[in-house]
Parts: sequence; structure tokens; C-alpha cells
Amino acid sequence: MDITSLILLALGFLTILSSLGVLSSRDNFYSALYMALTMIFIATTFAVFNIQSAFILIAFIFIGAVGIVTVALAAVFRYVPRKVPVDKLWVIPTVLTIAVLAYTLYKYATFNLSTASVNIAAFQSQYALAVVFLFCLMVLLMISIVKIVRREEVCLK
Amino acid sequence: MFEVAIILITAIVVLLVAYLTAISSRDLIRLLISLEMMFGAVFLALIPVFSIPEMTTTAFGVLVITIFTSSSELLVLIASIVLLNRMTRDISTDVVSSGGDVL
Repeated sequence: MDITSLILLALGFLTILSSLGVLSSRDNFYSALYMALTMIFIATTFAVFNIQSAFILIAFIFIGAVGIVTVALAAVFRYVPRKVPVDKLWVIPTVLTIAVLAYTLYKYATFNLSTASVNIAAFQSQYALAVVFLFCLMVLLMISIVKIVRREEVCLK
Repeated sequence: MFEVAIILITAIVVLLVAYLTAISSRDLIRLLISLEMMFGAVFLALIPVFSIPEMTTTAFGVLVITIFTSSSELLVLIASIVLLNRMTRDISTDVVSSGGDVL
């Protein structure tokens, strides 16, 4: 087993351990911290394969913005929820999901992994319209949410 | 040789832990955390796609779209948390009168 596989194994173990921390922690604040840790390990996995552009996006936007806002929200609404027993019928979709994922694992487990660098210029030319649409969608979503919150404020008064 | 297997097993475990977190809790913050972990599993599953030279740009496109989706989800859930807290002084999903996971 080469050094990359060993690093990957250690990172995978730490990722699973921190994700189990999210599940086992009773306080939402600590769950959010464990989630941020899981995301950091996931971003580090990208760094191991030298996919720098994806690493930067995940580290700065997904962890730096989305993750930290979640931690801040969990700290503001500090809440220890009661855990509920899981409905036994959830076993059916869970087993189906595991079956599909296990088939994927069986099919691609021995796939040779040698990542190539992302061609940003090609991405810009192919996905420019999609990114513009996504920006428009975000702005539309923000305007809608502001309208909903204002309407609720009026209703509550 | 087993690098893809390690990545996919990690992604599967993170995804299943996120599912379990989502269905075993009753508040919006934990729901938000579990959704973000699901997106994390998607990111992990994207790594093997980056190793196909013809698919690198597509994988990066999917990554960007996933980040936009997760940001939108965060935006909607923040609004939901704030509104639910204003209305009921509680962020538990038990106070929501419709929907739920009862099959």
C-alpha cells in the first residue's frame, strides 16, 4: 500500500469518526462543529489528489461560509433536542440506497485513480450560462425570502 | 488500487450517517447539519469523476452547481428557522402541523 492510500485511509477514518460525532452528539452546537470538521477532512481529500480549484471552492465557500453560518446558527439557537426512535419502515429506503451504493462500489472499486487538473477556461466557456442562471436563481430566492419574512412580520404584528 | 473503494466507502458511510441524523432528530438546525453532510458525501463521490480526463470540466460543473444548491438550501432553512422561532418560540419540527415522516 503506497503513501497516498495510507493518507486516504487515515482521512477516510477521520471523516467517518467526525460524522459519527454529529450523530452521537446531543447538543446541536457540537454537532455543527463536528460537521465542520467532517467538511474539512473532505476538502483535504481533494487536496490529496491535487484538485486545487475544487479544494478552494469547498474550503472557502462550503466550509468558510455555509459551514460557519451553520455553526453560528447552532450557537444562537442553542438547543438540545430529544432524539426520537426511527420508524422501522425507513429500513426499506435505507436498504435500497445501500444496495445501489454497494453495486457502484463493486463496479468501480478497482478503478485507477489519477486525477487531472481542471481546465478553468473550458469550464468558463461551457458553463458560463449555467452560472449566470444560478446567480439569477440565488437573487430570486433571496428576494422571495425577504418578501416572505416581511409578510410574516406584518402578520405577526 | 483501492483508493476509489476507500473514497466511495467513506462517502457511503457519511451519507448514511446524514440520513440517520435527519430521520432521528426533530429540529431544523440538525436537519440543516444533516443536509450539509449529504452534500459532503456528494463531494466525496465526485473525486473519481475528476480522474476521467474528458469528465473533469463536467465534474467541476457539478461541484459548482452542488455548492450553489447547498447555499440555496442554507438560505431557505435560515429563513424557516427564523420564521418558526418567531411564530412558535421553538425550532422543533413537532410544532409544524403538516408533513412529517410518518409512513
